Amino acid sequence: MTSSTRLSNWSKARKLEMNMEALLEFAKGPLFVGTFSFMVLGLLRRVISQWVQVRASLKRLTNREIAVGANVKQSLAWLLPVKHLYRNRPFVSLMSFFFHVGLLLVPLFLVSHIDLWRRGLGIAWPGISLYTADVLTIATIVAALVLLGFRLFDRAGRTLSTSLDYFLLAAVLVPFVSGFMALHPAFNPLAYDTTMLIHVLSSELLFVLLPTTKLAHAALFIFDRFSSDVFWKMPAGAGDRVAQELYGEGRKV
Amino acid sequence: MTTSAAPGRDGLSILGPEAKRELLYNVENPDVPNRVDRFLQAFESILRHTNYGALLDLYARSRAKCGRCATTCQVYQVTKNPMDIPCYRTDLLVKVYQRYFTFGGWLNGLASGEGFLTEEDVDEMMNAFYRCTACRRCTLECPMGIDHALITHLGRYILSEVRLPPRALQVSVRAQLEGETGNTSALPLKALKSNLEFLEEEIEEDKGIQVKLPLDQSDVEYVFFAPVSDFIMEADTVMGNALVMHAMGEADNWTLGSGNYDSINYGLFYSDWILERNIQRLVAEVRRLGGKKILIGECGHASRSAKQFVPVFGGPNPPPVVNCVELAYQKYLEGKLRLKPKAISERVTYHDPCNISRSGWIVDQPRELLKVIAENYVEMTPNGTQNYCCGGGGGTVSIEEMHDFRMEVGGKVKADQLKATGADIVVAPCANCKKQLREVIKHYELPMEVKGLHDLLYQAVELE
Repeated sequence: MTSSTRLSNWSKARKLEMNMEALLEFAKGPLFVGTFSFMVLGLLRRVISQWVQVRASLKRLTNREIAVGANVKQSLAWLLPVKHLYRNRPFVSLMSFFFHVGLLLVPLFLVSHIDLWRRGLGIAWPGISLYTADVLTIATIVAALVLLGFRLFDRAGRTLSTSLDYFLLAAVLVPFVSGFMALHPAFNPLAYDTTMLIHVLSSELLFVLLPTTKLAHAALFIFDRFSSDVFWKMPAGAGDRVAQELYGEGRKV
Repeated sequence: MTTSAAPGRDGLSILGPEAKRELLYNVENPDVPNRVDRFLQAFESILRHTNYGALLDLYARSRAKCGRCATTCQVYQVTKNPMDIPCYRTDLLVKVYQRYFTFGGWLNGLASGEGFLTEEDVDEMMNAFYRCTACRRCTLECPMGIDHALITHLGRYILSEVRLPPRALQVSVRAQLEGETGNTSALPLKALKSNLEFLEEEIEEDKGIQVKLPLDQSDVEYVFFAPVSDFIMEADTVMGNALVMHAMGEADNWTLGSGNYDSINYGLFYSDWILERNIQRLVAEVRRLGGKKILIGECGHASRSAKQFVPVFGGPNPPPVVNCVELAYQKYLEGKLRLKPKAISERVTYHDPCNISRSGWIVDQPRELLKVIAENYVEMTPNGTQNYCCGGGGGTVSIEEMHDFRMEVGGKVKADQLKATGADIVVAPCANCKKQLREVIKHYELPMEVKGLHDLLYQAVELE
């Protein structure tokens, strides 16, 4: 190998590194702001449009009595489902719970994440210890694998799962695995920057997926619990109007 | 289809994931042309006039498809057939909604050229929506609170507007709403009258007192609506109703109406239109007689539909709805209904009818009464709001051709449960459950009999 090819190899590698650095900067900067705003606004839009629809639905009813308190209580009870988990499929249900706990707590309360907010916007809040974050992350990863196993090997799970369901589970898993690897170089065969780039980009993909896929249940769950109460009430006369539209004046059973 | 096969046996076309898609029930006109177009037309019309669009939008965006409902469904637990997974069944309709009535779905259809509604899809929905017993157990257990039973109700509603509901239900409703007798069993008023007289005589013979089954009394507190089949098949329950009203001191305070003496509302099982018309008939009869409250006899779906839909469809100041079990317990607490403790020596268990128990409305009341009058009361598990359906819910008990399905599938879980109690009597205050449980007991050769709560109260009531 001549010294000139060695030099050009070095410069190629350096270039790649610089590209990587620039890409990481872009991902952590403008792309983060863009995708994060997309998520927040997207979820907000979902909630508002659902709220508008529920309001319009209620307006068509004669009886608008909704047991708000009872429904809120139910929703909260299912957020901490200690009473409900054991009743059906206890193991998978428990795993599903752990999965969600890690999913919510780690991104929000990891000290390194809070640092980013402090540096970027000057806001901060108390975080969890690195040890706790590790435990939660591992629990989430293990739980996700159990849920994947359920989708793959349980008859009902397999029936219900489409390629999108597998993709979404993987999409949730990548930021967690890469984040864990970034914090634990000993387990990490990849370069730090590569890991971070994967971590940041996969998280941003998740931001985009949240309002646009079934992951929107993260925000829409507040309506689901009310749906029985709201939609088991039908607008008076609607049945007759439908029958008339389809069968005219001579409508019969 | 094989009859009286061993429980859970393979090879029955109704069991197993490979079960054929052949229809489990008869429809009046199986050769309805252009079913796909008509399905979509009916769906569109329903979406235009009702709120179901908002519901489908919500579920399309938020169901996580976790599969937990599969483990709660007693039908799926036996059949292991994909179409019996509540979330899958909901998906059948949500997919049609997305493809035809949302922008994204329309775009998807243009791009992929797939996912359009086919004749086979209509077949699958016709089957799937009536294999469900509408027990609402899955709704209770869904972590998100997705109401699969409501989507199934909507699916059935659309099918009914395509004129493809089970013939048995359609024929009954036609007799009720368009026939001369005005009730689902086509029981003429004359026959009802002689029936009531006969029952009054029976009570007098039994108890030595005159107890009335009053007809067309004006301005009373309670206008009583039993499932009309009770007058034909559940004489003991009706006699119990009369004697309990008498013992509570309400003898002059209740009445049946000659204008409508049938509480059955199959609309709950297949059409909002029918549902509303039946509710209006209940309210009209109460108004005609100047009554104050609607009193429903031992019937689960009639109680629920009245309780839930009289406020929805009953116009301004709708009359309150009371179930007879609830009333008996209330009067017992007030000291107006006195009962002989331990009057029933047999071992008694209680089956919760889904329609009154799932919401937590009537769970403890009958138990408290039974614990007083029965020497030996046992629970089955699970019970209360968590109970298993008798296996004939959602209108299927009235569909004779579904007998084998009801026995081998929904009925199997119930039979195991009943057997474990070792009871001599299973009490079920619901005409639907009574019929199904009797058939289950016969099918599985269980040594017990089915009774209504008022059948036992009849024996245990303390008279002056």
